[in-house]
Amino acid sequence: MSALSSAVELGRRRLKARRVGVGVTRPGFVWAAPATVFFLLFAILPLVLVAVLSFTSWDGITSPHFNGLANWTTLFHDPVMTQSIWLTLLLTVLGVVTQTPISILLGVWAAGPQRNRAVLSAIFFVPLLLSATAVSVLWRALLDPNFGIPGQLPWLFGNGNLLGSQSGSIAVLTFVGMWQFTPLHALLYQGGARAVPQVLYQAAAIDGAGTVRQFFHITLPQLRNTMITSVILMVVGGLTTFDTVLILTQGGPGTDTTVSAYYMYEQGFKNFDFGAGSAIALVLVVVATLISLAVVRLSGYDKMRSTTEGIS
Amino acid sequence: MRRRPNYLAGLGSLIWLFLVGLPLYVLLLSTLRTTSDYSTQGPLSFPSQLTLSNYANAFSNGFGQDFLNTVIVTASVVAIVLLVVPPLAYAIVRARGRTIGLVFRVFLLGLAVPAQAVIVPMFYVISQAGLYDHLIGVILPTAAFSLPVCTLVLTGAMRDITPDLYEAMAIDGASPGRVFLQLVLPLSKAGLSSIVVFSALQAWNGFLFPLILTQSDSTKVITLGLYNFQTEHGVDVPGLLSAVVLSMLPIFVVYLFARRALVQGLMGVGGK
Amino acid sequence: MDSLRVRIRSGASRNRFAAIAATTTLVLGLTAACGSSGGSTSGSADSGTIHVLVYGDSGNTVEQQIVDTFNKTSKVKAVLYTIPGADYQSKLNTIINTPQAPDIFFNWGGGSIAPYVKDNLLLPLDSMIAKDPGLKDNFLPSVFNTAVVDGKSYGIPMRGTQPVLLFDNKQVLASAGLSVPQTWNDLLGDVAVLKAKGITPIALGGGDQWPTQMWFEYIYDRVAGPGLFEQALAGDKAAWSSPDSVKALGMVKQLVDAGAFGSNFDSVKFTDGGSPALLAKGRAAFELMGSWEYSTEQSSDPDFAKNGLGWSAFPAIPGGKGDPADIVGNTNNFYSVLKKTQHPDAVAAFLKLMYSDEFVQAQLAIGNLPTTTNTPTFLSTSASPGYSQFQFNLVKAAPSFQLSWDQAYPPAATTTIHTAVQEFFDGKTDTNGFIQAMQSLATS
Repeated sequence: MSALSSAVELGRRRLKARRVGVGVTRPGFVWAAPATVFFLLFAILPLVLVAVLSFTSWDGITSPHFNGLANWTTLFHDPVMTQSIWLTLLLTVLGVVTQTPISILLGVWAAGPQRNRAVLSAIFFVPLLLSATAVSVLWRALLDPNFGIPGQLPWLFGNGNLLGSQSGSIAVLTFVGMWQFTPLHALLYQGGARAVPQVLYQAAAIDGAGTVRQFFHITLPQLRNTMITSVILMVVGGLTTFDTVLILTQGGPGTDTTVSAYYMYEQGFKNFDFGAGSAIALVLVVVATLISLAVVRLSGYDKMRSTTEGIS
Repeated sequence: MRRRPNYLAGLGSLIWLFLVGLPLYVLLLSTLRTTSDYSTQGPLSFPSQLTLSNYANAFSNGFGQDFLNTVIVTASVVAIVLLVVPPLAYAIVRARGRTIGLVFRVFLLGLAVPAQAVIVPMFYVISQAGLYDHLIGVILPTAAFSLPVCTLVLTGAMRDITPDLYEAMAIDGASPGRVFLQLVLPLSKAGLSSIVVFSALQAWNGFLFPLILTQSDSTKVITLGLYNFQTEHGVDVPGLLSAVVLSMLPIFVVYLFARRALVQGLMGVGGK
Repeated sequence: MDSLRVRIRSGASRNRFAAIAATTTLVLGLTAACGSSGGSTSGSADSGTIHVLVYGDSGNTVEQQIVDTFNKTSKVKAVLYTIPGADYQSKLNTIINTPQAPDIFFNWGGGSIAPYVKDNLLLPLDSMIAKDPGLKDNFLPSVFNTAVVDGKSYGIPMRGTQPVLLFDNKQVLASAGLSVPQTWNDLLGDVAVLKAKGITPIALGGGDQWPTQMWFEYIYDRVAGPGLFEQALAGDKAAWSSPDSVKALGMVKQLVDAGAFGSNFDSVKFTDGGSPALLAKGRAAFELMGSWEYSTEQSSDPDFAKNGLGWSAFPAIPGGKGDPADIVGNTNNFYSVLKKTQHPDAVAAFLKLMYSDEFVQAQLAIGNLPTTTNTPTFLSTSASPGYSQFQFNLVKAAPSFQLSWDQAYPPAATTTIHTAVQEFFDGKTDTNGFIQAMQSLATS
């Protein structure tokens, strides 16, 4: 997830370290054993089980029994499933598109020298401290058509039926996601912007480049690695949007905001069709892995290769 | 000598201040007014009288127990992460061989696996293990799903320790254990604080695992308490929002007093 | 100087590590202790306890009281557990075939227990009834029968009956010069007048979906009689495409198109108090809701519940096949028993308390209306005698008491039904779409 860029770094350093070749006592595998066993048991084993369960019919009461490809054929012909994938991708793209520019601007600004910056950024980052549950509960109350803010500002919100249409619900989910996650990404960019070597700006200033040109020609390119990390974080987060959907829209109106993660929950824990739920979950894992890989490849192919070498 | 103020970003930050500030203002103000005042006057108006009764009600509704449960879950998750991740990261950085490479790859794979995706079998594993509706049944999966990020962050930090320091210890004939305790841990403090911050936030704000893996009041955590409160008496918006404020209070206190550490910890999660 | 500082630094770190290790051990120990003391896993095999699992809400005080009464005399002790409302059915389903399963559990009868009967998990109560006929005879038959599956009894009524009624804000009606609608046309007329006055005629918590479903239940009953739904539930999918069904859908559409529910009902919920507040604040005139509307209003706005809240039966639809005295809703809640219980005799003794005088009085005191034959004796002790009397007469006189659709079908059907009713109200689905959705439901 987040530390992918540091993974990239690791690969390179590992190579270097090997070349240096120091003759000291090294820790054995036993040092890694507790974490590995723990992780296999509570993360990898369930992952394997989810694949197995996707080929079964299971109501959660009696034992699961195999039903071949039945869940998968149903899934491929299920319009709600197809729609849920599109919705998930749409929300993910909307998240990246809305959060990235704002968090870059905020992050770069917060890394700058302004004096009032510390106080303001202290306020900016407060949404970071709230859980997704708390954020959703807060906005659900604030956006209530009759007793929330829309009821007081009809000139802005009309009849306040924000969650009554697909476009309205998607807009609300995107906005709440932006409100909640922008601070984290701004923080990442702030860290990235601080690490940009001063020399570059000094050189640019001598060449007579203004603030805007410096931003586009120095800051942005230098934030490339941070951007990869941040976008992957947004993508994985976007693909698994669940808390906000459960609390704000419950997948509605109708199935208009039934994203994949929510559909999985609904099929499993509301309709008691855990086989179908598992199949959706597996699709989610595959899509999340593929997109993460794609982002890494598209944006940092050469570095990725050195990482692979380093690991193997 | 550095950059001049960035006006574009400055404007953006003012808009953002409004977007963040207004809801927070409404949030705080609403918790200080009565329910009927809120529903008749609307959230944007200033309350006719201020009251603290909403906070008192939150505690009489069992918020104290939820709070305690969340503290136990968070402390345990952080403890587990601190116990298993540093040795693992040390091994990944220093050990040789195919196995450790494979282990690292497994953790990398874990980065792309969302917790939502494994919730069905997780429920199966936890209930088969007899841990359903026990806090430990929430702690173990939450900790497990914090491992990939924590491992990568800490491995990154440990990479910064230069080989000559290891050599120096090796000349003293230090065992891997001594190297770990006297060299690696002290020099990766920043990484350690990052993983504490990350895993603590994960545990404190976790929702899905408690939602699926617990049911009783005695094992309810804060996020679940908020969710239940909203589904049961959402009409009491001031009461609900008081619970929201209380749920973020501990993190806010940490934020006030240790903002640098918290912020730097989170920056560390993003890599350098 | 430098080396000294390094030494001090590493010393401090070592101490800190020791501290962390110590804290960790402490915390883990604490966790383990909490883990083993909390929760409900001790199973029902251990000597002398029966576990009772109930939907968690404000009604739990009575359940606790009855459990306490039982424990005073019984050697086998009952223990009460609750699961908060929204997730009750889903949590129940996940534990019912595990060691954590209770002995006795709360349900809605009908489809809510059908899957468990099919999986052979539930104990038929007929032999208990043979020993103590009072377990059946002391309850109103229309209610008791809701928990009869394939001719066998699986549940004992354990709370109050919850018919769906048309509630109104008396003050709003009076100031608009309207009276409670007796027929469909009255209702449409009221809607037109209220709409012209800028008041939302009918409050609807469309975000919850099930309040929307209530309109379908009543209109279908009035137009086609209770038979249509019963046939459909029994597996005759053609019932959904019958002319009566199409006619009922047309009337639903007519009401929605008349603007009866305003335009933002999908952003409003009953469960978070939105729609009841609309009614109480006079921003809407009517709300179709279960009888719990009274206690909901009472807890949020006692004054309105006492003086401003009116109620009536659902209007008649002239020319329809349904009896205007028919009602829909939840007949009652039930206690069902798991086959694996170790203490069937204690369970029988516990269930007996569900028609005791103490039970009836305690339920009436919190505004619930029990469905035992001795209930009329105590009606005057109710929290609101007039309201209780009205409901009891309604339930007793009803030729048919249709269980809510989402409870009549097995739980797996709920999402489909809820989505269908919501999309039909939104105009996202037409008559054919709705019919197809209902025909897609698995019946048994």
